[in-house]
Amino acid sequence: MQIIASTGGKGGTGKTTFAILLAFKLVKEGKKVVLCDCDIECPNCYIILNQELKNGDSLFRFFPELDRDKCKKCGLCSKVCKENAILWVRDKFPIFFKEICSCCGACWIVCPNNAIKKKAEEAGKVFYNKINENFWLVTGVSNEKISETGPLVRQVKEKAINLAKRIDADFLIIDTAPGTHCNVIQALMNCDKVYAVTEPTPLGAHDLKLILELIQKLGLKAEIVLNKAGLGKDELIEKIAKQFETKISFRIPYSEDLMKAYSRKELHKVEIL
Amino acid sequence: MKIVIASGKGGTGKSMIASSLAILISKKRKVVACDCDVDAPNLALWLGITKFDEIKKISVSQKAFINQEICKRCGKCKEYCQFFAIEKVNEEFKVNQFLCEGCGVCKIVCPFNAIELREVESGEIRINYSAYDFPVISGFLYPGQTGSGKIVELVKKEIERFEYEIAILDAPAGLGCPVIAALKDADYAILVTEPSPTAFLDLKRILKLVNHFNLQYGVVINKFDLNEKISDEIESFVSKNLLGKIPYDKRIVDCLISLKPAIFVKEVEKKIKIMLSELFSRI
Repeated sequence: MQIIASTGGKGGTGKTTFAILLAFKLVKEGKKVVLCDCDIECPNCYIILNQELKNGDSLFRFFPELDRDKCKKCGLCSKVCKENAILWVRDKFPIFFKEICSCCGACWIVCPNNAIKKKAEEAGKVFYNKINENFWLVTGVSNEKISETGPLVRQVKEKAINLAKRIDADFLIIDTAPGTHCNVIQALMNCDKVYAVTEPTPLGAHDLKLILELIQKLGLKAEIVLNKAGLGKDELIEKIAKQFETKISFRIPYSEDLMKAYSRKELHKVEIL
Repeated sequence: MKIVIASGKGGTGKSMIASSLAILISKKRKVVACDCDVDAPNLALWLGITKFDEIKKISVSQKAFINQEICKRCGKCKEYCQFFAIEKVNEEFKVNQFLCEGCGVCKIVCPFNAIELREVESGEIRINYSAYDFPVISGFLYPGQTGSGKIVELVKKEIERFEYEIAILDAPAGLGCPVIAALKDADYAILVTEPSPTAFLDLKRILKLVNHFNLQYGVVINKFDLNEKISDEIESFVSKNLLGKIPYDKRIVDCLISLKPAIFVKEVEKKIKIMLSELFSRI
């Protein structure tokens, strides 16, 4: 099985569109494909594929919970918390701010009085949709107010890998979030090939450099997808492709028909790759 | 007053609108523009800035390092790491620097004191004056580093160095830590969406976060004429919170290519001015 990612740095360049077009192309060629939506803060593949998210499995994270009977108000928990998610004032109980808690566990490990319990809470969900005999979708969704989404992406991806192995899929396609931080890194780790989807504008070019730099640092193989080709200045992207010695594998011309197919949820009718 | 521009979905036009607003507001009031999209900072480009006068290197996180000579290979660090950052490679435990969040749990649990935390350079804060004579502050996270939310907090601290009436903060896509950091203690949120089923869904998602912070907000539908049916649906969903609608105009891309702000297109300027007076009537 080959694991392929669709990423891009900048938002709105067409990561999801490309991931879905690629999935349909491979399915039409007779391959078995699992598409995994790892943009768990804003997953959109299922909308474009006209699916509903039902009966998902919960994803858990451990959050600290204070046992006031045991707490001696020493403040050690607050001192070790690198996220500054625990506020402590002398002679007062510490206050925990869940929105910035990364669930690292330092507080309950150091508490000398065993006053901090780790409490499993649902932080997100994973859903499975069978689109057809040879095409499955796995969608991760994080709950709002969950700040650290990287470890959840890892869980979603592992579940997609398990499914892909079980059904003996040929390809696992990973659709990542925009950006270059932990949620994207978790999605990219160990992929066999990464497509960086970009657009021919100075913004697309600027962010393409950043994502290519990241892919290189992670030791992964990158190829470029130039989406909305002809809309701006294609040379901007060609220059970067040369600089990074990376191939432009696909050029998808700017087309209002494609945009319409996207918003009408009819990407399966498009043959453009 | 701090106004945050956010959207959930990427590529809806946050930076285009943030830069246009900053320029128009700066004609009458003191403005600071601030790019909180530290993963892919594009606001400065929209304001024609490609070089920065002031660049401060910053460290917002630490990384764990295992001293292999002291390590007894007990594996406790790997067991306790919540970020899957410790891997066993040929009997040795190694920290994957891309996944380490620097929380220090491994150092705490190591019975042999074999792990130390070291500060790492995580990114930059870049400052320059735009051609419209207001400061632009950009946060930048080095690709592969962690701590985007913390960089956003530092960027927000820099704002206070300047005298301003209105700070415009351009948030990243998504709902995670850098977005939460941008929205925290803001006074108003402008949510930018476009008429696609996905952007509409992501608008509903970001609204949950905005409501959690009890923020006053207004919605802008960008490229509304690309799908008037969905645009109407969004309009009736947000009802009185609609701030304005901006038509799709290919000349906006042409502006971008020549590093000129979108309001060089007169029709766009007109629409954004209308939106702005609507905004000021509300705040």
